[in-house]
Amino acid sequence: MKSMTASEAVIKPTAAQNIGSSRTLHRVLHRYAPEVLALLGGAVVWECLGWWLGLQWLPPFSQVIRALVQFVGSGVILSNLQSSLMSLIVGFALSLVFGLVLGALMGRYRVIEKAFDVYVHALFVCPSILFAPIFFAMFGLSDASRVAIIFVYSTFVIVINTATAIRTVDPSLVEMAYSFGCRERQIFTRILLPASLPLVFAGIRLGMGRAVKGMINGEMLIAFVGLGALAQKYGAQFDAAKVFAIAMVVLIIGLVSNAFVQALESRLTRWAD
Amino acid sequence: MIRVKNLTKEFGGTDNGGGVLALSDISFEVRDNEFVTVIGPSGCGKTTLLRIIAGLIPYQHGEVSIDAHPVVGPGPERAVVFQSFALLPWTDVLGNVTFGLDVRGATKSDSQAKARDLIRLVGLEGFERRLPKELSGGMQQRVGLARALAVNPRILLMDEPFGALDEQTRRLLQEQLLQLWERERKTVVFITHSMEEAVMLGDRVMLMTPRPGQVKEMIAVPLKRPRPPDIEKSPAFVEIKEYLWENLRAMQTEQP
Repeated sequence: MKSMTASEAVIKPTAAQNIGSSRTLHRVLHRYAPEVLALLGGAVVWECLGWWLGLQWLPPFSQVIRALVQFVGSGVILSNLQSSLMSLIVGFALSLVFGLVLGALMGRYRVIEKAFDVYVHALFVCPSILFAPIFFAMFGLSDASRVAIIFVYSTFVIVINTATAIRTVDPSLVEMAYSFGCRERQIFTRILLPASLPLVFAGIRLGMGRAVKGMINGEMLIAFVGLGALAQKYGAQFDAAKVFAIAMVVLIIGLVSNAFVQALESRLTRWAD
Repeated sequence: MIRVKNLTKEFGGTDNGGGVLALSDISFEVRDNEFVTVIGPSGCGKTTLLRIIAGLIPYQHGEVSIDAHPVVGPGPERAVVFQSFALLPWTDVLGNVTFGLDVRGATKSDSQAKARDLIRLVGLEGFERRLPKELSGGMQQRVGLARALAVNPRILLMDEPFGALDEQTRRLLQEQLLQLWERERKTVVFITHSMEEAVMLGDRVMLMTPRPGQVKEMIAVPLKRPRPPDIEKSPAFVEIKEYLWENLRAMQTEQP
């Protein structure tokens, strides 16, 4: 399919220039055809099942969209989205810094790994939402509670991935660097960091996803603001259409943040393809 | 001059022993501008020996010195060419060749000019912007060689540099290395498991015994330089090669 469009473009270069924008659209549709079809199909099935079954918890897709439009129109989504994103950015930024630094140290130094490994794995395995009541007690209803929840959700997967990434860097590269007289700092900046980037980014992506989860879970449990609190409110009212509408907003946040990390990743690790 | 005296290297174990003896009481010298090849059965510790001279691993007993200075780590007068090439996959040929210069604080323009010269010297002109994965094995090792030469070492330590290459590529690189060596006459220690390679390149061949590695014999190669590509046909070449094989075969059959 792809090579066919490529050869068409070679044969008709002037035509492609004339109708450039429609061609781009055509190409995008071509490339994402399976995804677009799957989404459209899912919406149709949802819509049909919604009308046909008439279940309270499964409103037709069109009603979810209507609720979403209402939300956006009334500004409810925007204000809550803002507050959610703020805590997401702060919480994730903190976990990124902490996770990368601790992970790098654990990956490089056996002693540090031995000392922290049990904590990191315990906190990674433990359901992070368990800490919600503790953070609530510590920080009350402030944003700090939500930031803290997001932090515990996303940090440890970043630590574990970064440590593994650093530990598994090809030792012959490190030896080569030593042979040219590299000091420890140069080993880090010139060998370990670039070599570990692909795996580090895998951890960052997982951490990003977990941060979004942490944001919603934290808000549902301990906040009166944000998307999670909104979902909690309408959930209590059994308004499924509105809950689904919020879920779609969360989904979009997840997709956009993932696309952002992925774009950064492919810029920095093109060599590893 | 590289001087190794009563060198013993043990891996693992404690002060009371219990480790694996890799090298046992090794003594030899490599004169300035001399090309010494080292051959021995697999696992005889030849790579360990090279890494000790390179200052990459410590040793327990004996002396290793360069011009009477004990080896305590890597030094600017030595550069290593690795069997695995050890190229940085994320940077291009130019970035790899400048690596040693960059870490030693050379300015960007200096190191790039120097690197471009060496890239030309090893025949990779036009490939400066290619990533290692876009190159064949032979080309990758030329990058490794250029990277080592870029820091202008007096001593070149080569750890089975052509061992991972196919026969044809290896022959070409051997010829190229000989030409390069004729120009600069660096001191070279070259580890190999190929008898042809050992004789073709070396002024002397150091024959090692199976583990624990010891120097069985230092064999002078009385072939005049510069050595032509068809040197393999000369009777002297064949004779030394046969002698090496007799010895190596005897070592292998003695082993269980």
